[in-house]
Amino acid sequence: MSEIDSLKGELQRLQEKALASFKNAADLNALQELRVTYLGKKGELTHVLKGVGKLPPQDRPVIGQFVNATKTALAEALDSAEALLAVKEKEQRIEAERIDITLSGRTSPRGALHPVQQGLNEMTAIFSQMGFEISEGPEIEDEFHNFDALNIPQEHPARAMHDTFFFEASDEQQAKLLRTHTSPVQIRAMKNCVESGGEPPLAVVAPGRVYRCDYDVTHSPMFHQVEVFKVDKDVSLAHLKGVLKHFLSAYFEKEIDIRLRPHYFPFTEPSAEVDIGCVFCAAKGCRVCKGSGWVEVLGSGMIHPNVLKSVGIDSEIYSGFAFGLGVERLVMLKHGIPDLRLFFENDMRFLRRMGVSK
Amino acid sequence: MKIPFSWLKEHVFFKQSVQQVADDLVRLGHEVESIEQPRSAVKGVRVGHILSMESHPDADKLHLLNIDIAEDEPLGIVCGASNMAVGDKIPVATVGTSLPNGMKIKKGKIRGQVSFGMCCSEAELGLAEDAAGLLILPTDAPIGMEVGEYLALEEAVLDLDITPNRGDCMSARGLARDLAADYDLPLINAGDDDVAVDGAVAVPSVQVSASDDCPLYMARRIEGVSVADSPDWMQARLIAAGQRPVNGVVDVLNYTMLDLGQPMHAFDADTLSGDICVRATQAGESFKALDGRDIALHAGNVVIADDAKVIALAGIMGSEDTGVTEKTTNIILESAAFRAALISTTRRTYGLVSESSMRFERGVDPAMIAVAMNQASTMIMDLFGGKASDISVTGDVEGLVKAKTIHIDMQRIESRLGIDVPEKFDDVLSRMGFGIQRDGNSLTVDVPSHRHDVSLFEDISEEYARVIGFDAIPEVLPSLATINPRKVDTAISSAVELGFVQVINYAFISADEQRLFVEDDGKDLVLQNPISADMSVMRRSVWTGLLNTAKYNMNRQQAGVALVEQGRIYAAIDANNPNEEHRETNVIAWLMAGELESDTWYGKARKADFFDLKGAVESWLSNRGLTARFMADDEALGLQAGQTAKVFVGKSVVGYVGKVDTDLADGFDIDADVFVAQVNLDALHKGKTLKFQPIPEFPSIERDLVFLFERGTESEAVLQTAKRAAGQSCIDVRIFDLYDGKGVPEGKVSLGIRFALQDAKRTLTQEDSDKAMQTIIDAVVRKFNAELRG
Ligand SMILES: [Zn+2]
Repeated sequence: MSEIDSLKGELQRLQEKALASFKNAADLNALQELRVTYLGKKGELTHVLKGVGKLPPQDRPVIGQFVNATKTALAEALDSAEALLAVKEKEQRIEAERIDITLSGRTSPRGALHPVQQGLNEMTAIFSQMGFEISEGPEIEDEFHNFDALNIPQEHPARAMHDTFFFEASDEQQAKLLRTHTSPVQIRAMKNCVESGGEPPLAVVAPGRVYRCDYDVTHSPMFHQVEVFKVDKDVSLAHLKGVLKHFLSAYFEKEIDIRLRPHYFPFTEPSAEVDIGCVFCAAKGCRVCKGSGWVEVLGSGMIHPNVLKSVGIDSEIYSGFAFGLGVERLVMLKHGIPDLRLFFENDMRFLRRMGVSK
Repeated sequence: MKIPFSWLKEHVFFKQSVQQVADDLVRLGHEVESIEQPRSAVKGVRVGHILSMESHPDADKLHLLNIDIAEDEPLGIVCGASNMAVGDKIPVATVGTSLPNGMKIKKGKIRGQVSFGMCCSEAELGLAEDAAGLLILPTDAPIGMEVGEYLALEEAVLDLDITPNRGDCMSARGLARDLAADYDLPLINAGDDDVAVDGAVAVPSVQVSASDDCPLYMARRIEGVSVADSPDWMQARLIAAGQRPVNGVVDVLNYTMLDLGQPMHAFDADTLSGDICVRATQAGESFKALDGRDIALHAGNVVIADDAKVIALAGIMGSEDTGVTEKTTNIILESAAFRAALISTTRRTYGLVSESSMRFERGVDPAMIAVAMNQASTMIMDLFGGKASDISVTGDVEGLVKAKTIHIDMQRIESRLGIDVPEKFDDVLSRMGFGIQRDGNSLTVDVPSHRHDVSLFEDISEEYARVIGFDAIPEVLPSLATINPRKVDTAISSAVELGFVQVINYAFISADEQRLFVEDDGKDLVLQNPISADMSVMRRSVWTGLLNTAKYNMNRQQAGVALVEQGRIYAAIDANNPNEEHRETNVIAWLMAGELESDTWYGKARKADFFDLKGAVESWLSNRGLTARFMADDEALGLQAGQTAKVFVGKSVVGYVGKVDTDLADGFDIDADVFVAQVNLDALHKGKTLKFQPIPEFPSIERDLVFLFERGTESEAVLQTAKRAAGQSCIDVRIFDLYDGKGVPEGKVSLGIRFALQDAKRTLTQEDSDKAMQTIIDAVVRKFNAELRG
């Protein structure tokens, strides 16, 4: 056998041995060691190459090619073995890192907006989008703003129906009171407009707290109202109906039927109580609507000329509509809350449940 | 107000059903609160005749009755009552009947004996509040007849909520007038027959000096009546209408008032002396009301008086001693007009209310004064005998009933309502008593005397809206108004996003609770008529409400709470004159107590401490673009010294954060440290509008220093000193470590300070940071007598 054949045979054996060992390598480290063992400077291939020097010069290119082919084959085999092992090792790592994704997430404590606040926010937003300006007024009022200017003179029977909280006062003073409705904001906003030299149009939404000296299952001595009014030329009852329909449909997120019933309020003329088609039974009749299919939600009307007069607006030129919403009532209807008292008990279980804001 | 359906039908012949009439009344503005149906409520209850009665073999108090109800077989009924006897006629609820109290009659066994129905008392039939035994019917009651029919129970009784402007509708006739107009049916004439007057009976002598308050006073004497109970049919009607029968004469007057709307009064003429005077009260007078109260009268009210005494508070109530009783033989009837505002003021002054005052203060129809007088006189004489005098009339009848005239532009009505108004609606108003003339767009309206509430264009527009029907008016969205949009207040939602639950508490608290956090400086605002002592003072701190909420919830298995409330606090400005000027301040307040989070798989439960709440307040302010400073405050009432801070924004104090005094928290039953904070929203400025700043081009350097300080050194002061010393390039300085454990000498604390330097124009060098570090060390060591540890 020639030198060359013997070398070739050696390379052949080397290659076979190497490829077998690559296949059996346990991990990337072992593979790295094999790379050194076979392809390193002091590796087996180098060792074999030393034999090339003993060959006659004409044979050297032939065997050189052979050696290179072997080297390439080994390198490629190493690379692919490495790649395979890398994939395998990643799979193992992933398996080892498997977690129970059903465990609860790390949360920060969750807050909740009070349902009445949510209602106030939603209602104010709807009117704001319709072009009504947000306004607020004091909760401690005087008789002028709460009654007189609203066409409820001292001896008026409606005044007695308001169950007013008064503050202690000396004899010569007129006692202050807690406002019984948000309507005084009408007076303040209109006066403000007129006294600062302005004139209608005026469109205002006034959310706020109001107080009545009445405390039982269906009455809270403090509750919330949203007052809405608009004064302009040619404001009509039809506009009032339009705004009510739009608002109620937007608030309940579905088309709402409304019904106006003539009523009496001193500060509006004509006056109407507003019913909505019962949202619980689709107006078929249920416990909430006492079988009538209608639920009373608010009082409304065209602003009484005496009210406009009290703030210096000419009722021959301007007219307006006004209405006051009971916030708690609408929130109860929207969310099916059965009892007014829940709002002021502040039970966390109720507040957290109802505090999920859409 | 309750009104039997049949009574309306006496004034107008309509064929509409009860439900239809109720709906139409609602459309016309008269709210129907409920409809009672007394007759159908006892359907199935029949007249029974007791054929035999024996004791129950196993129960002494029960009886076995055999009752004939005109069916094939008599019914065997077990009955617990004892006031009946064989031969009595009684109401029997047959099997299948539902009684007004909700009871359903079933065939059943009572102590082993089968019972085929139930014998009823008045209470069980809904005819009385309570009853001692069975209702024993007259002996001629037809056996087997429906009891509802036999007793002529009302088919329906409407319960109406008449609005305060429609005093004219507080009677059968008033309501019938609206219905007749709506249905286009005639209103049946009231019985305005002349009374047969006996010239021998003296006409009462009446002096009216308070003629502004009493524009018309009519009086009549009737002699020789024998007062008996009013007839059953009248009593039944009165009861159905919610009134209690008193005696024949009083019943007739109440009946007349319910019928025609005119309140009347009757005096026992033999208890009076001299002329009847309608006059203002004099100081020192008193009046004995029907309820037995002695009332000291103020000057300026109007009374009816004789020579010696006050005999009635005008339009409200007669005196106890001069009223008609069963013994009365001579009476004086009064039918008059009183000014509404007078009645309203007077009855509120004395806290009185009567059917009469309710009508007068809402306004009654002066055209009915004479009609009612005659109708009542006739009824009294028909029922109880007697001879009537002529009527004494003081005042101007014509002037009172004269129509007001209003001129209106029809176009203006149409524009106000947003709908065209065809002439057919003029006719409806005419039928309601209005005189209407339309000529093109010009409208002339004569207002009838019963409509006190109508005097303006707007009132007429309402009358048209009522008869056209609000349903017919279209829904039109107005053009958008000009607006000044105001930014929505995000104070509360921002706090909620930080994990707090919003609560809403009443704005009034008890005087004791007020003193927990606010000294008594005379500036409390106190309610005159609170619901209770617990709700009598306007709060000056929101914390008491939050403490109560914490208590409520921690007593209900909540291991911890994080609460926030936004609202107002209220205080007088001048302590000497609390009603003069006051301030309402908008605040937001927090409370944290107990566990912030319960045990989880990733961590143990942790209890709230000062820094949890301080951090929340800092984050909340920072969301508004504000930076706060905190300064220790040992003086805050109700808060623990050493764990309480004033909150500064800029130079002003805007609030507090602190730990609630432990004794105080104990008082609320809270078994955990409680931390509260409050920020005055009105004191906060808006926060700066953010301006663009270039992102730094050159890297920053971070270095750490650790010092030993005396315990009690404020870290905030250390940081400020360090920052000032480090100079302009210092972009951040903070505490990264706090340690006072092993290795730190007693009375000392180790603080690690990390500072960062950066320059906008160049990369800083080691030399730069070394220099800064040295100046910091020098400054901190000098100022705080600190010792550098590393
Ligand atoms: Zn319903």
